[in-house]
Amino acid sequence: MVAEKLIYRLKLANKWVAVLIGGLLLACAIFVLLDIIMRQAGSSFGGTDEISGYVMAIVTSWGMAYTLLELGHVRIDLLRSRGGPWTRSLFDLGALLALTATVTLIAWRCWPVLERSIVNMSHANTPLETPLWLVQTPWFAGWVWFAIVSWLTLVSAIMLIAAGRFDQSEKAIGTFGELDQAK
Amino acid sequence: MIVYVAAGLLALLSLSIPVGIVLFLLGFGVDIFFSPFPLIRGLGQMVWSTSNNATLIAIPFFVLLGEVLVRSGVAEKTYSALDRWVSWLPGGLVHANVATATMFSATSGSSVATAATVATVAMPQAERLGYDPKLFSGAIAAGGTLGIMIPPSINLIVYGFLTQTSIPKLFLAGLLPGLGLALGFILVVMLICAIRPDLGGERRVFPVADMLKALVNLVPIILLFTIIIGTIYKGWATPTEAAAVGVMGAFLIAICFGHVSAGMLSQSLLGTIKITSMIMLVVIGASFLNFTLASAGLGRELSAFLDGLGLSPLETIMVVVVIYIVLGFFIETLSLMVVTIPIIVPLVVQQGYDPIWFGILMIVLIEMALITPPVGLNLYVVQGARKSGPMSDVMLGTIPFVATMLLMVAALIAWPQIALFLPGAIE
Repeated sequence: MVAEKLIYRLKLANKWVAVLIGGLLLACAIFVLLDIIMRQAGSSFGGTDEISGYVMAIVTSWGMAYTLLELGHVRIDLLRSRGGPWTRSLFDLGALLALTATVTLIAWRCWPVLERSIVNMSHANTPLETPLWLVQTPWFAGWVWFAIVSWLTLVSAIMLIAAGRFDQSEKAIGTFGELDQAK
Repeated sequence: MIVYVAAGLLALLSLSIPVGIVLFLLGFGVDIFFSPFPLIRGLGQMVWSTSNNATLIAIPFFVLLGEVLVRSGVAEKTYSALDRWVSWLPGGLVHANVATATMFSATSGSSVATAATVATVAMPQAERLGYDPKLFSGAIAAGGTLGIMIPPSINLIVYGFLTQTSIPKLFLAGLLPGLGLALGFILVVMLICAIRPDLGGERRVFPVADMLKALVNLVPIILLFTIIIGTIYKGWATPTEAAAVGVMGAFLIAICFGHVSAGMLSQSLLGTIKITSMIMLVVIGASFLNFTLASAGLGRELSAFLDGLGLSPLETIMVVVVIYIVLGFFIETLSLMVVTIPIIVPLVVQQGYDPIWFGILMIVLIEMALITPPVGLNLYVVQGARKSGPMSDVMLGTIPFVATMLLMVAALIAWPQIALFLPGAIE
């Protein structure tokens, strides 16, 4: 079925994204470590704080979609689990719809931030004088990616539920609640 | 406004909308109904400035540290070493559960990871040596909660960020209450096993030579803790830098024990990204809600609200404690912290309390939320590591430890110095 295939592909793509940004994070840790060692020897790369901040912004925005598909965004499961398959899938769809709408709004409101940096050619107010568009572009793209993945997941979930495939939709957009953190 | 926000919060949460999204939606609501000017224009800038943050990157670093450490094989070594040192006490191996959890807490910033690690290592022993499953598993669930109190702590980083309090000071403030709780757990187990020796299993005394030899196995964890916390207080490193050092330390340990592989690395990274994004969606949502509430005049309204209630500071704290205990049955850890910080912390600070002290008090209450049913994550983690037996075993087993935590809450209120002494001494 198309919806199942789509969700499978989205999961695979996001896994790759997650490993890549995980690698970026690791590289940043090594960079920070080297800087500490060099500081003890009296020199420094300088700007580790600034670069860590950019890495954090990019890791955060690009990791969101992976977490969505791994059911990692915490939901409080009080009423939902008491219902049958129909009720549960309604809760799931409602939650995903709220998420998709909010994330789309966020991605849309993030554009002016990048736009201003491009128009003004703004540089960070730091010794590195990083051109802000350089780091804000990947950050913004991450939020857009999150919005796109949310929409595609929503459409797939609606198709699954319409076809009565509740077990599949629950796997794709259900919840482990806070329990999922343990996995 | 406070009443509307609180009611909206509960309603949206019970619809099982993701917690981070609930916070954004509430922020939009405050913007539309209570703010004189449109705040949504600031949304993009808010998201950027919250995530472009060199302090918050300590969160994924500490998560990664934990993920690597859990897969490094160090837990087994630590457990067997501590077994040799504490199993002569009434309660035997139960103390090793608490002690291992305490040591793991000192390097890991997460309670769930701590409980999961100790449970995996300890559970097979319980059945083999004939321990009471209730007390044994309860001790793991409760011991695991120390992960968010004893530094480093991811929850304290989030608290510090959202309330603008110093993270090194918060870490220092958590040390004594964390160790106090660990000691309390050990005492309560001894007390129970002195009254009912059959619950404690066999007490074993190991030869001194054995005990000394086992100490070698504790070196990696102690070293890691000293490096992380030491570099912060020596002023060599910020919490973020110390976390980066810790990540490398954890890798070093894993390499020494021969547990590093490509699969292990990618699993650790995937786990880190998942937990980090989960935390960050909630944190960014809370920042946005904080911002809208402050712009809509929460401060003024809170003063009026408090005057209307006519509660003394002590009564306010009592009410807050009760709110956390009740909410803690259903919501927990980070979600509970983050959804309440925007309203509760300004309220408490307005009554003249120290935000660092309150952060520690809140952590104790959240630790309790981790082991109180029906929603208590550590209960499920420990049950998941058990091969058999009903869930109610674990729930009943945590009761003595919940009582110990309540005592700690009372002690913190009566003697705030338990938390504030160390941060004060450092100044």
